[in-house]
Amino acid sequence: MTKNTLRTAGKAPSPTPAQPLTAEARPVQQQRRRNPPIAGELAAIAQAQQGDGASFEVLYNMHKRRVYSLCLRMLGNVAEAEDLTQEAFLQLHRKIATFRGDSAFSTWLHRMAVNVVLMHLRKKGLPLVSLEETLEPSQEDGPRKDFGARDLTLSGCIDRVTLERAVEELPPGYRMVFVLHDVEGYEHNEIAGMLKCSIGNSKSQLHKARMRLRNLLRQPADGKVQA
Amino acid sequence: MTSDRTHTPRDCDEFQRQLPELFDSDRDLLAHAHLQTCENCSSLVRDLEYIAAQAKLLLPIHDPSPAVWDNIQNALARQAKDDNKSS
Ligand SMILES: [Zn+2]
Repeated sequence: MTKNTLRTAGKAPSPTPAQPLTAEARPVQQQRRRNPPIAGELAAIAQAQQGDGASFEVLYNMHKRRVYSLCLRMLGNVAEAEDLTQEAFLQLHRKIATFRGDSAFSTWLHRMAVNVVLMHLRKKGLPLVSLEETLEPSQEDGPRKDFGARDLTLSGCIDRVTLERAVEELPPGYRMVFVLHDVEGYEHNEIAGMLKCSIGNSKSQLHKARMRLRNLLRQPADGKVQA
Repeated sequence: MTSDRTHTPRDCDEFQRQLPELFDSDRDLLAHAHLQTCENCSSLVRDLEYIAAQAKLLLPIHDPSPAVWDNIQNALARQAKDDNKSS
């Protein structure tokens, strides 16, 4: 694990160039679970590295959905997500010769896409970590002690579409950490490094994101209430 | 449901304050002493664990529009042209 991921939110450095695309610290097993090898991928990578355009298109088609979904979830905006998907693949085209195969290709590519999105947000001057963090915790996200044990627990009653919609409603800072950790499977120390915040900050943002989701998912407003 | 409760609201506050850390530890959260007596916090933990588990199923469902590939191709073609000119 990298040692320099412990930075405090207070002294975030100015926009930095893309992080070095080192091999992921995550166990290979976890990478495999998230990113199972795709048939024909290795051959396509080798040929694209030699400048073969058709193979690059094959790689695009293999990975466009994952990369675009990642951008869209992080940004919450179709136009921006498409622009940055494009940017991520152009960057892939520039850098593919440097891919050495010491991590899964998709892990490498996704990290590149995450960096493209984060750089874009930094350029826009948007805080990557929710500002609400520094304020008093809002009532809405605070612990609820009054819902009573008889309330239904969520288990078994949310489907992907419902959860997807709820994720879209999260404030950007919460959504970022939730997508990186719970959806994409990054560890807190990796997220802290990417977002230039502390590990504790990453954990607390994730917790608040899940709490907010829970409140959103329990709301009867959806029209999909379980009796 | 609170008839035989052996914890105070303060215990719940304390437990919930520690939750972000507890979630990241490898221990089985549901075995935590507080949860043995507190149905509210148990239900909270079950929900949050459920949300985290469901999130893993959220992988890819969106496709970019075909225009994205067109734009990439155009950009690459422009680049190739520029490279030819300059060499
Ligand atoms: Zn409790």
